[in-house]
Amino acid sequence: MSNFLNFIKDNKEKTFFIFILFWLLVIAQIETYSQLTTSGTFAATMRLAIPILLAGLGGIFSERSGVVNIGLEGMMIMGTWFGAWAAWLYGPWWGVAAGIFGGLIFGLIHAIATVSFQVDHIVSGVAINILAAGTARFFSVVAYANESQGGATQSPRISGEISSFSLPFLSGGTFLGNETSDLLRNLEDLNLFFISDISGLLGGLTRDISYLSFIALSLVPICMWVLWSTPFGLQLRSVGEFPVGSESLGINVYLMKYIGVTLSGAFSGLAGAYLVIESSGIYRENQTGGRGFIALASVIFGNWRPTGVLMGSGLFGYADALQLRSEESVHGLLLLISIVLLALSVYLLFNKKSRNGAISLLMAFGFGIWFLNSTSVPNEFVYFTPHITTLVVLSFASQRLRMPKSVGQPYKKGEGG
Amino acid sequence: MNTAISIENISKSFPGVLANDSVSFDITSGTIHAIVGENGAGKSTLMKILYGMQKPDNGILKINGDIAKFQSPKDAIASGIGMVHQHFMLADNLTVWENIVLGIDGSNLSKIKRSKYIPEISDLSKKYSLPIDVNLTIDDLGVGEKQRVEILKVLYRGANILILDEPTAVLVPQEVEELFENLKNLVSQGVTILFISHKLDEVMEIADRISVMRGGQHVGTVNKEEASKKILAEMMIGKDLPTPPNRETMISSENCLQLKDLNGEPSLGKIPFEDINLEIKKGEICGIAGVEGNGQRELSEAILGLYPVESGQIFLEDIEITKLSTRERRLTGISFIPEDRQSQGLVVESNLIENIILGKQSSNTYSSRFRNVLFKNASKNSKDVVENYDVKTPSVQTLALALSGGNQQKFVVGREIDGKPRFLLASQPTRGVDIGAQALIWDKLKDARDMGLGVLLISADLDELLGLSDKLYVIYEGKLVKQLEPKEATPEQLGSYMTGLGI
Repeated sequence: MSNFLNFIKDNKEKTFFIFILFWLLVIAQIETYSQLTTSGTFAATMRLAIPILLAGLGGIFSERSGVVNIGLEGMMIMGTWFGAWAAWLYGPWWGVAAGIFGGLIFGLIHAIATVSFQVDHIVSGVAINILAAGTARFFSVVAYANESQGGATQSPRISGEISSFSLPFLSGGTFLGNETSDLLRNLEDLNLFFISDISGLLGGLTRDISYLSFIALSLVPICMWVLWSTPFGLQLRSVGEFPVGSESLGINVYLMKYIGVTLSGAFSGLAGAYLVIESSGIYRENQTGGRGFIALASVIFGNWRPTGVLMGSGLFGYADALQLRSEESVHGLLLLISIVLLALSVYLLFNKKSRNGAISLLMAFGFGIWFLNSTSVPNEFVYFTPHITTLVVLSFASQRLRMPKSVGQPYKKGEGG
Repeated sequence: MNTAISIENISKSFPGVLANDSVSFDITSGTIHAIVGENGAGKSTLMKILYGMQKPDNGILKINGDIAKFQSPKDAIASGIGMVHQHFMLADNLTVWENIVLGIDGSNLSKIKRSKYIPEISDLSKKYSLPIDVNLTIDDLGVGEKQRVEILKVLYRGANILILDEPTAVLVPQEVEELFENLKNLVSQGVTILFISHKLDEVMEIADRISVMRGGQHVGTVNKEEASKKILAEMMIGKDLPTPPNRETMISSENCLQLKDLNGEPSLGKIPFEDINLEIKKGEICGIAGVEGNGQRELSEAILGLYPVESGQIFLEDIEITKLSTRERRLTGISFIPEDRQSQGLVVESNLIENIILGKQSSNTYSSRFRNVLFKNASKNSKDVVENYDVKTPSVQTLALALSGGNQQKFVVGREIDGKPRFLLASQPTRGVDIGAQALIWDKLKDARDMGLGVLLISADLDELLGLSDKLYVIYEGKLVKQLEPKEATPEQLGSYMTGLGI
């Protein structure tokens, strides 16, 4: 027992996290809110999270090299346009390549402006966003205006799709040409507490995965490897922290920053292409809808780490999937919030923080009453759920953020000798 | 004994300045060779040439007898020269070993050879008795440890000639002792050390040979046995070394500033300062000694009304000012010399006339009844300050950033002492300025004190504190842990209280 208490004391954040997950599971047992943990929800989560994940990984490369990249959104827009254009003409894999290229070009522009010409990073980033929106519209008019289905704001439907696979035995994939069992689906259908929910999660992540999604997810460990286990990553991180010192050791600071920012463009371009090819099958203006900014937020709240971005984007994707798939389950979240706030107020009152505890208690009751006296959440709030959830959870999750020290500061060659 | 470096007729000029004028001397290998001189004497330029950061206009550099033509620091490193910069060249979010091997491997995508590097670095740190945990992040290290990492970094790159640029500027006395031990150890193992400094005590303690520079020229090189502080000082500035002015005090019985049970509001779970009780009389300088980060900054900001106070009271001549805003406190007559002139003391992109107004923008001197700025007064007063405080500037219309550090500081000090303040808060008033400016600022502080001004002097310069203060406190972890008699206290004593040892 005392071991258990000590664990809680030493891992407050983890305990809190597990507590939330537990109650999420409990609420998911109620018939109305069963969508909270079905494999369909998790499959949708993955599809919605990956664009943000990719752009966020790009953001890490840029920010770790010391350049603020508020232009992720614009680079993503270029990814969507080029991705759709090439996919429409030549097929989806060409779309992926073109999307990466489109983002990369805009990343390069940002690098030239901020690194070579020391333009303020925010100014250049805003310019990138405006420029990308304008460029996409211009290209659309040129390329799509005379096509059937196409126009100044959208492309024709793209042809073909990227093939997908399922894990054999666990999720019903084929093995050496033979159909296999779908163990996870069977478990999910049993409706057992915890086991079915976990099966839903694993099933959603392993059934009908497109190869592009697989590549995207495998980029997380690859990025971690590159940034933390190679000399290149070491240099890139040192440049974002203290460029003068790096230069004094013979590191080419400009080159590192160029690589970081250009890579962030390529990642964002891939994110845009994914959005077109996997989600909508068409380019539409404003399709990115601020996902680049969400990605930037997840970089910051994810403490400039790939795992942090993975969590942030996953959370956003989950909330987004819920609001798209079932409005009732969003209503279930009210109960969850109420329970969590109640627990928080108990914790605060125990630690003699009476004012914060009282506020939190009051809010817990507020949400509880709202939950009991309604059957659904107003639509306006439902659309807003992903954004507010992501920001609230992430800002609580990481109180101590450590940003690369020289991020956002201009650097002129020669300061380190 | 071999010659490690021989410098022959090195000259280097920058637009308008002859930074090095035919400098020639030799450095014997396996010795500690000190180079002393005032700021601007050309020491740094010479070192930058040695380290390949700048190319000489004329002259020859020989390393171990071979002529060296360095294009960049890389070449210098390749010939075995390593530089320990005054401001550490370390990336704070990387670990010790990462900082040490940074840049060695190029930038490829292979796995970094962690299992090879870490034992090598540990061996090196054992060999030269420079203990360090290689897996710690630089953020978690103290100043002395960071310096050790810097030394290891250059040694790991195969350096056998170390250039240390003002290495003691950031250390407390105990850490200086430790550094000197390490340096002697290095020399006994065959390393040659170039030690740049302007503190003559240290140079006399550590160096085998001493070269003196003045105005870009090499004045002479002496063996330690032949040298004394007096001789070196005369070589350095052509006259006697200025000492902190003597005290002939006329402390009045009237209170100037009084702090009663002052507690700062906790931030990040730490109380910055607590239970501060101080009484400063008119005509008295009260010194506070302490290692940076022990609450001095928060305390001074609390007196100015910038940092929130949780409990306690502040009185200025019997008026309680605890609840007043910073602007109101300034108007009541509190003057402030901030520790960082560049970011707090001046708007460097503005000229001196505009800078003289700072902090007094709403006083009658500079603000008319209709709230427009009285530039006539500003112009007159800035000229007065420039004249009285020997600020070297082409005109008062010059931008503050065009002035050297010492002149900027003299201007700030002049601005704050002029205009009859009732209390002066001086935070590190002579940090990073040359001996001339330091002497002038000390004189002016003493004059102001003699005119009846109460001064709170927060400093890390122990000579300054011992020389100027009428009473002296040591701050450690936010508390005034000790009151010392400045006439009797020694720097070593102060140092041990400052590091929490003597309590």
